[in-house]
Formats: sequence, structure tokens, C-alpha cells
Amino acid sequence: MFLLKNEQKLFCHSVFIDNFIQNNNYANINFESLVILKKSMKMIKNILIIMAALCLFQNISAAIENTPEQINSIQTRIDSIGFDILNRNKIPQRIVFVYDEQDKKNILTSDKTLTKRQVVIYDEMYKSAESDDELAAMIAREISLAIRSFDGVCNGFLRSIQVKAAPKKFEIVADKRAVDFMVNAGYDPVALIIYIQKTAPQQRFDMISNHNLTSKRLAVIYEYIYTKYPYFLKNNKYINNKYYQNFLLTSASNRKMLEEKIRTNSNEKLKYE
Amino acid sequence: MKNSNMNKIFSVLCSILIFCGTAFAVEDDFVNKTLAQKAIERPQYLENYNFEDTTAIPIKLSIASEVDSEKDLYEGQILEFITVERVKYDGKTLIRKGTPVTARVETIIANGMNGIPASVIIGNFNIPGIESSRLTAEYEKYGFDLSLLVFPLKWALTPLPPTGSLTNFIKGGHVKLKPDNIITIYYHPNWL
Repeated sequence: MFLLKNEQKLFCHSVFIDNFIQNNNYANINFESLVILKKSMKMIKNILIIMAALCLFQNISAAIENTPEQINSIQTRIDSIGFDILNRNKIPQRIVFVYDEQDKKNILTSDKTLTKRQVVIYDEMYKSAESDDELAAMIAREISLAIRSFDGVCNGFLRSIQVKAAPKKFEIVADKRAVDFMVNAGYDPVALIIYIQKTAPQQRFDMISNHNLTSKRLAVIYEYIYTKYPYFLKNNKYINNKYYQNFLLTSASNRKMLEEKIRTNSNEKLKYE
Repeated sequence: MKNSNMNKIFSVLCSILIFCGTAFAVEDDFVNKTLAQKAIERPQYLENYNFEDTTAIPIKLSIASEVDSEKDLYEGQILEFITVERVKYDGKTLIRKGTPVTARVETIIANGMNGIPASVIIGNFNIPGIESSRLTAEYEKYGFDLSLLVFPLKWALTPLPPTGSLTNFIKGGHVKLKPDNIITIYYHPNWL
């Protein structure tokens, strides 16, 4: 039965090819080249089917990752923490929060924190925030920059330019203010150290960079918490956290400098590495 | 027999690994040494709030002695102020003139290039008989801002390099708080 079917197929193919040669008068095209042509057409068809299947799979997986319910729950979590920080710090300026599914901020887009007073949380940032404390740390940093765009000349336009013109200076300011906002809103500021330890890479030097060395930022935050909110270091709930342990491991020399400063009762500004 | 030996070896190795894991945890010796003996309370935060009421009573303050952000101030420092005039609410005197008020230097932002001024954020105001949670959260005092002059100058000089870049070196002013500078904060008597 199977052989019969195959024979029938072969017969049909040969009849089709004969008809094709006769109808189109391609007498000079030999039989072999036509078979190759037919095979390659079949191969292209298969490739197209595979590609379509891949596209479909990709779309389905994307749809699984970002269901409206999931986006809604992320947005609700961000809003809840963001507005808690605003209210508990009695911040009288209007700031909103938006979750953006984009992996990270496009370099060419304007900074909406300063232009629209809209804190945008990109997926790259959000995926590293494990606890509410860490998410609060991330949001509090952005709020501190957004606030600066309200007062001063031209409804804060000049201050916004200043923030853009001196990013290194305001990076440290944002870190410090974030600690204050977190404490005032009932969050643990040590989470800011953990969040930065996990996410910010360490550059070689910061002399000609727009950013401070991450180790320097972390040391400044540690000193700030030690000076103003020592309760959180004394009763450190993150002491056994692996990321915090990694911070302790990598910040030994900077902490030694701070220890010396405290021992000598100095008010000198330390030059952290 | 061999199996039971292997199990023993495996359990010994596991316990060594667990022990090593805990032994490698880094202790924060610096905090243990310097803070362990001190009694420190958790900072309070505004758990419940209701901002419905719009009543806001201004409280005018002046610093007790002159300070300069360049040399006198550090973060966490307590500053002393006095009330400049009597504060009345509902026909009653709330705060007398000359009442001492303390506040904390929250953050100092140093002056920078391009004429960016220094600024000092003062918060945590403490007035006798007044709940701190009902006071303005913070007050920010800026130094002399030169950036309004520097930025247009920089852009105007950009076609003549490197003169535009030279404006980078113009620095903004420091913050000076003098007894004749009046700081106004607000008291919201009906806020939660």
C-alpha cells in the first residue's frame, strides 16, 4: 500500500514536470535542475515555517512575561511605596511614578525625573529590588532629584540644568537624601547600600567620569547612616544578608578611614576610594 | 558497610561546609566597637497622616550665631535658633518671642563649578510645646547662585574654543546664615 502511494506520487511529479516543460517550452532546461529547484523551494518553505513558529513563540513568551495584571501589580507596588515616601516626608511637590517595561533608559531620552517630575522605574532597576526597603531606596533617590526641579529661577528650570551639569555632586546628594526619606517613611536605609552594592558597577577611576566610584558612594552612605541614624547599624537586620556581607568585605579600607575619623573626633571630609 | 562509611564521610563534609559558611561571615567590628555601648532609639516616622486642614501658621526664626557652610557646618550638627516674633493661634500665644529652637543640619551640598551654589538643608525643628510632626519638614538655604550668569556666558563663548570651557571654573557661593536672616517655617495645628 505504502509503495503504491509512493509510486503514485512519483508518477504525479513526473507528469507535473513534463507538463511544465511542455507548456513553458523550456526544452533546454534539464530534468535535474528542475528537481533541484523544487527541492530548494521546499527548503525555503520549511525555513519560513520555522521562522513563523519562532516569531509566534517569542510573542507568546513576551505575552506571558508582561500580562496586564502583572504590570498592574508592579505599578501598584511602586505607587504605594512612592506615595508613602512623599506623604511621610511631607513633600509638598507633585511627583508621579511610572513603571516602564523597557529594559533600561534610552540614552537619548530626556530625564523625565527633572522635566516631567515623573519617576520612571525601568525593568532593569526593578528586577534587582528584592524587598520593599530596596524598592523604597530606588524610588527615594529619584524623588530627591525630582524635588530639586521645582524651586528657583523659571520654576526650577535652572536647578534642573544644575543637576544635569554636576551629575557627580548630585549623585551623592540623591544618595544622602534617599537615606533621610527612607528613615522618615519607616524604611531601613541599609537597604540602599544593598541595592547599590547589587546593581552599580565599579569603574576604574572617577576623575573624568560623570559618576562617582561606587565604593565611594557606598562609603559616604555608610558614614551618613552611622552619623545620623546609628540605630540601623546597631540593630542591623541585614547583617547576615549576603550582599551586605559583600559590602563589608569590599569596604574594609573605607570603613577603617571612618573609624579613624570617629576615634579622633574629626569633622574632616574623608577622601574615600 | 561501604555505603554507611560513605554516608559518614558525606555528613562530615557537609558539617564542615556549613561551619565554614558561618565562619566566613564578616562582622561589622567598627559598629560593634563604637555603638554597642550606646543606647540609641529608633528614629520616629509619621505612621498616620491627614493633611486635610489648610491652616498654616508662620514661625519666623533667626540663627543664634552666624555660621558658614565652608568651615562651620557638618551634617548632623544641631543649630540653635530663636523665634523672632510671638506666634499666636486662636487668640492664644503659642510661642513667645525669643524662644530657643533647635534644628539639625540634614545635608550640606558643597558649591561647585559652573556657578552652582552651595546649599544647606535644615530639618528636624524642635520647638518647646510644639509637636515636630506638625511643622514644616525642611528648610533649604542657598548660597549665591552664579549659574544664571555662567550658563549663558558659556553658550555664548562656545564658538570660540576653549573660552567657553573656562567658565567651568567659576564657582558658586557658600551658604552664610546670619542672625539677621529670617527663616520662616510653618506650623499646621490640625494635621495628624
